[in-house]
Amino acid sequence: MLLQLTISGLSQGAIYALVALSLTVVYRSTTIVNFGHGDFVMAGAFVSYVLTVMLGVAFLPAAVLAVIAMFLLGLCFSRGLIRPIRGGPHIGYALMCIAVGYVLRGIARIVWGREVLPMPSVFDMPPVFIGNLVITGDAMFIIGTTTVLLAIFFAILALTDIGKMVQAVYQSQRGAQLIGINVDRFNDMAWGVGAAMGAMGGILIAPVSLLHPDLGASFLIKGFAAMTLGGFGSLHGAVIGALLLGVSEQYAGAYINSALIDITAYLIIVFVLLVRPHGLFGHKTVVKV
Amino acid sequence: MMPTSAQLRFRTILFWLVPALMLAVPMVVNPYVLFIINGILIFVLITLGFNFVIGNLGQLAFANTAFFGIGAYSSAIATTSLGLPWIATIPLAGLAGALGGFLASAAALRGIRLYYLAIITLAFGELMRWIYVHAKSITGGTDGLSMPRETLLGFSLTDDRVKFYIFLVLTVVLVKATLNLLRSHIGRSIMAVRENEVATASLGIPTSRIIVIAFMWSGFVVGCAGSLFALHTAYVFPESFGMLQLIVSFAMVIVGGLGSVLGSILGAVVLTALPEYLRSFPGMEELFFGLIVIAVLLLLPQGLASLLRRLSPIFIERYYRE
Amino acid sequence: MKQTLNVLAMTLFTALPAFAGETTGLTDDTIKIGVMAPFSGNAASYSKAEVGMMAYYDKINEEGGVHGRKLVAIQEDTACDPAKGLAGVKKLIFQDEVFMLHGNSCSGVALAIRPVVEEAGLPWMIAHAASDSISNPRAPNIFHGLPTGSANGRAMAQFVLSRPDTKRVAIIEHSNDWAHSYSDPARAYLKENGVDPVADLVMERGQTDATAQILKIREAKPDFIIASLYEAETAIFLRDLKKYGMSDIPVMGTAGTDLENTLKRVGDLDTVKNYFVIHSYIDSLGGDKLKPWGDMIKKYNPDEELSTFSFASIGSAIAVVNALEAAGPDLTRSNFIAELEKINNLDTGILSDPITFTHDDHQGVKGSAVAGFVDGQPTVLRSWGERY
Repeated sequence: MLLQLTISGLSQGAIYALVALSLTVVYRSTTIVNFGHGDFVMAGAFVSYVLTVMLGVAFLPAAVLAVIAMFLLGLCFSRGLIRPIRGGPHIGYALMCIAVGYVLRGIARIVWGREVLPMPSVFDMPPVFIGNLVITGDAMFIIGTTTVLLAIFFAILALTDIGKMVQAVYQSQRGAQLIGINVDRFNDMAWGVGAAMGAMGGILIAPVSLLHPDLGASFLIKGFAAMTLGGFGSLHGAVIGALLLGVSEQYAGAYINSALIDITAYLIIVFVLLVRPHGLFGHKTVVKV
Repeated sequence: MMPTSAQLRFRTILFWLVPALMLAVPMVVNPYVLFIINGILIFVLITLGFNFVIGNLGQLAFANTAFFGIGAYSSAIATTSLGLPWIATIPLAGLAGALGGFLASAAALRGIRLYYLAIITLAFGELMRWIYVHAKSITGGTDGLSMPRETLLGFSLTDDRVKFYIFLVLTVVLVKATLNLLRSHIGRSIMAVRENEVATASLGIPTSRIIVIAFMWSGFVVGCAGSLFALHTAYVFPESFGMLQLIVSFAMVIVGGLGSVLGSILGAVVLTALPEYLRSFPGMEELFFGLIVIAVLLLLPQGLASLLRRLSPIFIERYYRE
Repeated sequence: MKQTLNVLAMTLFTALPAFAGETTGLTDDTIKIGVMAPFSGNAASYSKAEVGMMAYYDKINEEGGVHGRKLVAIQEDTACDPAKGLAGVKKLIFQDEVFMLHGNSCSGVALAIRPVVEEAGLPWMIAHAASDSISNPRAPNIFHGLPTGSANGRAMAQFVLSRPDTKRVAIIEHSNDWAHSYSDPARAYLKENGVDPVADLVMERGQTDATAQILKIREAKPDFIIASLYEAETAIFLRDLKKYGMSDIPVMGTAGTDLENTLKRVGDLDTVKNYFVIHSYIDSLGGDKLKPWGDMIKKYNPDEELSTFSFASIGSAIAVVNALEAAGPDLTRSNFIAELEKINNLDTGILSDPITFTHDDHQGVKGSAVAGFVDGQPTVLRSWGERY
């Protein structure tokens, strides 16, 4: 049973990881937390639904197109709506993100509001049985895909020039500006990448969860919890935090009470922030008073 | 440009004139419109309390929905289980809200700030909602609590007109109290903390205590609003205290004007009345709501209150940062 | 002091406009009917339920109306939120001044508006919200025109126990009022028959994985599972049940799901072959006896995607029109209510059970059929193995 729960927890955690990581990418470059990110996740899933089910595009090209579309949306969002309110109070950003999320959800609701849409299963693999253990096709697909995506992401970061640039901006925006990096454009790109990665999470979960306009709402909180657990702003922390969250939800649900699954994320947030605010891998930022 | 003393006197008159004129409202509107106006009064209080922490103290705390729910449930539980008259539960709800504020400030004092504070207070609100659902024996669980029918000095408390007068008096009192608090020594310290906490502490001002006071006042005002809400809908139900509630009141603060009491009032009025007006476009609310907020953020970053300030200096609030 | 205040109260507050008028909302050629539903928000899919009755109004209007009066539906959104619902109902009563109310999904909203409707005195036919407390204790003007939660919950438990040798029953549900309105009466009925659930589990809205719950079910070894879950979660639950090789255990679902759409969502018959739902109609969704009603809905709402929700309110609409007919041309609220209370054993031609109102009992529909797959075809059942 323990192993079984771990596998399904990891498969959930993989989705949370994409969400948490995409939130972190934006946060690290812009110090903005995207409170509307759940709806970006939902939007990604809907775009891929439109392409596969309504226009008949095959899953893979549809997914790629949806991710590109969401990348562009993220880019436009940053250029058109975040840049103009720069310099205002910081919480203006939070509300702007929420408002855009609302617009996305509103559009989804007007078009599909009264139906729950099924997303065709991508790989209809039969589950693998190892003794008592069942590994489902969905779990293999999600864990596999996420592993590949994360490997690519961290490889780019560690091995390429782009990665070095990212490191430079993360170290100091002003420093990066001095050596000729266009930080504004960099931030736009971060929004684009964030939106695209969130969309990947949405596309992966949609065949499992069915599609509805409120799909994203719960992922936002899971993303927050994962970031908090892993250490706000830490990229690998977000991933590890997400996996831990996915697994602990399953354990709490099975060993304590199934009513706890829904609030595991909240309990983790409160507990971590009160006990170890910088999380597992975050840097302690000290403001001396 | 600061207002002249004549203008200040006019401002005082205006402050009392508006509620005085509002006394006639129940005579001229139908019960539906009156119900909406009662709702607006409640939202004025929620926004007032919320703005106090995020605008005046400058802390990104999203616990106001928790305070609101705590207030509403305190009132409902005290009337249904303890048999107290509703009117006596208002201060109780306020105090319970203040206690919630105290807890939230404890997090802030532990160095949990900015987004950390936003997220932990968000979690606090959702955990409270979980408690409402699962503490069935006191909260009625998912069925919620139904308020008993009561009279107060012979007036039926199910009558929206009676509710209106109670709500109006309480709103005026709390708005006035908040204004006075902001003008006091404490209020100035609160805004000093917002501008620069370190510098404020170096002046010998006990910043921790100031933060606790600000959170508790915010909790008190919103807790009272919760008590009014319990009477307003006569039915307290976990779903009323979810994320949607939070986002709506957050938008009210920003649309009205961050850190401005006048803004709190304007934001609550506009964002309650407008969706109600848009009732005839069902399903479009989310879209409209999002677009309105985006428009205000882009075109009126200081909120609606800044429009009035441009109109006349009497609307300038000195504790507001331009 | 108190006396003075009383006098003051009287003078101030007795000048009530004449809202509770007997003929409010009537003209010579129209009857205004307030229709409340969650047209927006995350429960918007429920509003499909009100489409059926409005199509029935359209049909009646096309045939000349009731005693020359056309039925005019005035829609109000509740967003499934009590405060919003209260505003909506007050608008209908005091601003639009409707003759009667018909509709309402979401029991939370219905419970919140009940005192207002009771006080205003206008007739209200509940078309979709199922909670018993809306119409019990009885209010003189409130009627329940579909099986209530307890009727449904009982029907669910009855069906579960009608399967030979059902001893061990597991329950999985959302923790909200909707889910409890089914599971609580089901639990009560099971208890009456000496069956205690072997597992009581929660699956919240928005959960995309049911592994933890399913492993617990596997340990409990139930013969039957009662699932009080919404559409999306039902599909996830059934799919996960199949994944873990437990799709042989029959699952009893609520009226909130139907076989056809559940099949569409999970994608293969094998996963849903042992899924049963409360189905308050005489035929399955694609069946011949339901087809005329489906055609009627399609005629007036060509874009409507039919689900069992779409038919939920038609039975109550038939009762309403019957009583309006019987009340004659000199329609008033009280003679309409009196006629409703005379409805006895009305076969609506759509609901599986007849409608009967009496003066003391306003819960008109006392039972419900069940639907399940028989030989791969959705089939309406009376009890385990017995066709309707």
